[in-house]
Amino acid sequence: MNNKKLTVSHAPFWHDGDSLFKKNLNFIIALLPAAIFGVLQFGAPALGVLALSVSCAMLWELIINAVSKRPFTIGDLDAALIGLLFGMMLPAVTPWWLVVVGTFVAIFMGKMIFGGIGASPFNPALLGMAILMLSWNMFFDFDTAYVNYDFDFTALAPLVAVKFQGAATDLFPLSALFMGREVGAVGAVFSLGLIIGGIYLILRGYARWELSVSFIAGIVITAFLFHLVNPESYAGPWFHLFSGYTMLGAFFLITDSSSSPVQRIPMLIYGLLAGFMIILMRNIGSYADGTILAILLVNVVSPLLDNIRPTALGKDMSNA
Amino acid sequence: MREMLSMIVVLTVLASVSGGLLAAVKSGTELRIEEQVLKFQKAPAIESLFSDVTNDPLKERFNLETGETTIQIFPGKMPDGSMAVAFETLGKGGYGGDIGLMVAIDMDKDQLVGARVTTHAETPGLGSRAKDDLTFVSQFNDKSLDTNLALKADNGTISAISGATVTSRAITRAAIEAQTLYNDLKPEIMKQIQ
Amino acid sequence: MAQSLAKEFTKGLWAEIPPFRLVLGLCPTLAVTKSVENGIGMGLATTFVLVFSNLLISLLRNVIPTKVRIACYIVIIATFVTIVELVMQAYTYPLFLKLGIFIPLIVVNCIVLGRAEAFASKNNPVMALADGLGIGIGFTLSLASLGAVREILGAGTITIWGGSPIFDMSNWFHPFTFMVEAPGAFAALGLMLAGMNLIGKK
Repeated sequence: MNNKKLTVSHAPFWHDGDSLFKKNLNFIIALLPAAIFGVLQFGAPALGVLALSVSCAMLWELIINAVSKRPFTIGDLDAALIGLLFGMMLPAVTPWWLVVVGTFVAIFMGKMIFGGIGASPFNPALLGMAILMLSWNMFFDFDTAYVNYDFDFTALAPLVAVKFQGAATDLFPLSALFMGREVGAVGAVFSLGLIIGGIYLILRGYARWELSVSFIAGIVITAFLFHLVNPESYAGPWFHLFSGYTMLGAFFLITDSSSSPVQRIPMLIYGLLAGFMIILMRNIGSYADGTILAILLVNVVSPLLDNIRPTALGKDMSNA
Repeated sequence: MREMLSMIVVLTVLASVSGGLLAAVKSGTELRIEEQVLKFQKAPAIESLFSDVTNDPLKERFNLETGETTIQIFPGKMPDGSMAVAFETLGKGGYGGDIGLMVAIDMDKDQLVGARVTTHAETPGLGSRAKDDLTFVSQFNDKSLDTNLALKADNGTISAISGATVTSRAITRAAIEAQTLYNDLKPEIMKQIQ
Repeated sequence: MAQSLAKEFTKGLWAEIPPFRLVLGLCPTLAVTKSVENGIGMGLATTFVLVFSNLLISLLRNVIPTKVRIACYIVIIATFVTIVELVMQAYTYPLFLKLGIFIPLIVVNCIVLGRAEAFASKNNPVMALADGLGIGIGFTLSLASLGAVREILGAGTITIWGGSPIFDMSNWFHPFTFMVEAPGAFAALGLMLAGMNLIGKK
């Protein structure tokens, strides 16, 4: 007799036959257009931040692996991806120690402490960002960060300018926002590049379209409603869509597989909720850009949403 | 029945002993507590408001009854000879509870000398700036008493601390309360000072 | 006797040290450990309550009827807490302001009631005293160390009872303010628990 129990976690399963290495490599490739654009626009410091962030993230994972006496996992490029995403959310002139600390928080507190890849309830890069922003808010002020730069476009961070300085959204034409002609984080300004990368990932099956689409829908609908009620004080949906971290969030942050739900309907609710929260934070909250905190918040909701799933066959039959 | 009785007796005895003990401790510490409150909460605010008075406001303090509460009044002689008083009011509805505000009013000119936050439990770095950073409270300096001391958002004259509107609003409430309190009490204060 | 007395005392310092081993009393642990000073103050206040309530409950353990024991314990504990509160107001007012609501909340601290119910009501006064003292000192040490971690990382300095900082690296260190905020308390406690488990496992 074969007494072995086959233990399986709950359905559904989704495997496209690829390795982790290939998945992460594709994510990195998809991020490259936006990253390269950031380097071209913000110059050598941007490249420095990105390189430091990626290498630090991998180094921290290596060290933690060694200390906890577990097999080395940096070969799957997950740490590199976290590092790259993290670096792309920073201003180009971020001090080096901030990158070192931030990648440590992301890798250690965001990923390794929960048991490594696939086990973390939060998006590691976002957790690192959120903790840094709470602690060293002054280094994330894009206006002061780029004070020594000379841009040929409005040198104000769009969300901050519209929210706190009372600037009109006309200062930031959609085409400029779309093409990355704005002040912001290294990898988050070039909306077009991010969209191309995101569509590539969705077509290749590495990211789920439900998440991105519902996220964008959540933002557009909520922002539209706010705009409808009071066009004077609330910017329109397209402005929100192409400024701040929105596009990076839509295709690369919210699609993180370990912290998002697995079923289609939960995924749609999850995305909508995230988009809704972002606009609430931007329009009513005290932060200029709520993307990071909003996605972390829905990360927490994700296990609850996972409860919405088809009943297993025969499970609810009382007289079976 | 016996058990019932013992329950009642034990609990009664315990409660009365502890009541007696607490009453003793309370009366033993009462004076010192009042001194400490004065020294750590009110004195710094008063010294900062009355930095150049020619008397000692803390020593000359007196109490006034207003309805059900008693308030402490600290009189100060301004260098130009006019008389001022300082007293504390509570602003309801801060982010972390009520906010204490020490308000000083020049009685001859009927205008504010200034205001300082005494106690608060606001978020460090946001609401706590109301106390640590004097730019917000210095808006009250030399305001005439018939100025509307509400926030600009509430059609008043005071600009809120950015990111801490709730705190700012609670403080303006305290200031407005001080205005009404002063108008009610002015005759009595005059009597006490003379 | 002497041996078991020592055992009851020392168990509070490592084997059952709250809140790391005996994961009780988390409310004050998380809320007040923004600095070493607060941690020590809170720890000492709790120790005082713990020692005297343990002693008194142990003395009265044969008098208190079982059915109303919890009510009796609460009366005793609440009395000592109020005494601590008044005394702190009278003599260490600035510290009292910082600890605020968490001093009266010692009444509902699980450690105090837990020791009363689980230990003092079943053992003689000397043992109960040793237990209360051990657990109290353990609690103080934990809060102080947690406070130290959070204050060093979150402010870059350690300041005890006014005066100048006894440890200061704020001239080159950008304070990691996350650590003195509420979420930092959870993170710091969790990491310290993990560290202790790592050491204790060997």
